[in-house]
Amino acid sequence: MNLRFYLLRRIALIVPTLIGLSILTFSIARLVPGDPVGLAAGPQATEEIKEALRREFGLDQPLPVQYINYMSGLFRGDWGQSLYTRRDVLPDLRTFWPATLELTTIAVIIATLLGVPAGVISAMYRNRLPDHIARILSLFFVSFPAFWLAMIFQTWFGRDLGMFPINKRLPVLVAPPPTTTGLFLIDSLIQLDFETFFISLKHIFIPSLVLSFSAFASITRITRASMVEALEKDFVRMERAIGIPYRIIIFKYVLRNAFIATITVISLNFGWLMAGAILIETIFDWPGLGLYAVHASLSLDFQPIMGIAFLYGVVFSLINILTDMVYGILDPRIRYG
Amino acid sequence: MADLLNIEDLHLEFHTYDGVAKVLAGVDLKMQRGDVLGLVGETGCGKSMTALSVPRLIPMPPGKITEGRVTFDGEDILSKSESEMESFRASHLGMIFQDPVTNLNPLFTIREQLVDAVLYQQARGQRVPGRWKGFLPSVRQLRSEAQERAVELMRLTGIPDGDKRIFEYPHQFSGGMRQRVLIAMALAGDPDLLIADEPTTALDVTIQAQILRLIRSLVKQLGLTVLLITHNLGVVARSCERVAVMYSGRVVEESPVRELFKNPKHPYTRGLINAVPQKDVSRGGLIGIPGMIPNLINPPAGCRFHPRCEQAMEICRRQVPAAIAVGAEHKASCFLYPEDA
Repeated sequence: MNLRFYLLRRIALIVPTLIGLSILTFSIARLVPGDPVGLAAGPQATEEIKEALRREFGLDQPLPVQYINYMSGLFRGDWGQSLYTRRDVLPDLRTFWPATLELTTIAVIIATLLGVPAGVISAMYRNRLPDHIARILSLFFVSFPAFWLAMIFQTWFGRDLGMFPINKRLPVLVAPPPTTTGLFLIDSLIQLDFETFFISLKHIFIPSLVLSFSAFASITRITRASMVEALEKDFVRMERAIGIPYRIIIFKYVLRNAFIATITVISLNFGWLMAGAILIETIFDWPGLGLYAVHASLSLDFQPIMGIAFLYGVVFSLINILTDMVYGILDPRIRYG
Repeated sequence: MADLLNIEDLHLEFHTYDGVAKVLAGVDLKMQRGDVLGLVGETGCGKSMTALSVPRLIPMPPGKITEGRVTFDGEDILSKSESEMESFRASHLGMIFQDPVTNLNPLFTIREQLVDAVLYQQARGQRVPGRWKGFLPSVRQLRSEAQERAVELMRLTGIPDGDKRIFEYPHQFSGGMRQRVLIAMALAGDPDLLIADEPTTALDVTIQAQILRLIRSLVKQLGLTVLLITHNLGVVARSCERVAVMYSGRVVEESPVRELFKNPKHPYTRGLINAVPQKDVSRGGLIGIPGMIPNLINPPAGCRFHPRCEQAMEICRRQVPAAIAVGAEHKASCFLYPEDA
């Protein structure tokens, strides 16, 4: 079996996953105790007003019918409406989601670029000074709460040193680039607007750096552990015995063996960071999905909640496919298996 | 003729939690160019450690060489720096190991591994341009020549359709074929010395015979010098010219193969040969050597074999016997034989 079949099979597996996910989010949103309509209509609302609201949102119908309506809406691109703002969910997601995606992607890239080399160095100098430094650093970063580090960094780099802006994606006076993807970094590059690109890079740097710390720590640790394990393999001794230079063995032959575990942790972190970006988004006033999600869940605004859950489900599935693809590229036994 | 390899009085210790294990206690071994020397002994007698001391691949720490010299073609190996060792291994040594499944990297094609073996061994420690520089015509030329050489090596080691199979991954090869690939990798740089550490132990019996036949034919074709490590006296009898018997960190007897089987001198060697199962086992069953291999942390004083030796004398408990000539090219380390024989 080649790589293409392997991928097609993985992609086909998304469909049942998403159907299951939609049932799950639908039931959670409908079965939780509480009265969303009552909350939305306010304490003074009469029974008639609530009844009208229920009818408007289709809540008077039996659950299976509601589910079918919900599913057909999903496919038509109608993800429902917020009970509060009366805004459609899908356009809202389109507005807020790219900010979060951009933030977490940059964070994962930073964590990988720092974490993998740190892990490799750690494994190469096992139990010596560079290893201790890397381990203390990762322990440090995983132990300190991100929101605290965020404020410290804001104070140092933003206020005291004035090197970086302290909040938002762009200054008020700079117009965002025309929306193609919603990712400012990419949109500004499409327009060849390098000034906006660098300004938004400056804005995203500190929040994504802070967000990357916990991921950096776990990537470093797993890279170190799997490098140490791979360095013990027989083929390393064999390659050394016939005179292949150690640096080639490490960076070509061993790293690839170790990378399979690392890629798993990177993709898991991607998901976690996306779901956990809310604290960082709050501190840096970052207009992402996190704030939107918190507002929606505090007020039992079920349509946005389902929309967000479904979106995250799709994103997680895509990340999983991507991970599986990387596995397949790295390890022929998975590809052919 | 000058010695190709000369191991003199090599002492190796391993620092473990339980104490210091004296793994090698004065190993002496000499090899000339063209020799095919078998190194036999029980598990844990130090034969693999002796072999690994030549490419200096003993993990240090916990290992530590406390005494002795290893010279190769007159060069002192133990005083070389790690980068000198890299180029030394590339230019002079080839090595094959026991398990062909774990000794090939599962994630890379045979081509990737074999071409690297060819390139780095031919470069003899010099830098080799990486594959990403393939856009340069000179690099592409170099790599395609290396690949031709790799296919040639596969043919030499008896792998059919090398030009096609070189694109496959190790898991698509059988155990015997993988061992052939490993032999091809070891031979890529025309090594002066091939060290084979139990090359047939992990293979099944029919494949063992094929691999031994291959090694023998390579010896004949290429004039290889081989140090063959095994615990199997049958392998030694079929493949080697000379044999050295190790017991608990020392070489106790060394002789031409025929002489050793006909006329074993050291009591341990006699025990080993008696322990080889005969066709007619109905009468007595298997014969073993009584006792256990000695503890390396607290080895017996004097000759380490004396607690298991039926002919042990008073002196054996106090003094370590030196190697004594007991025949033409035949040496044994035992007090049973007078010094001037």
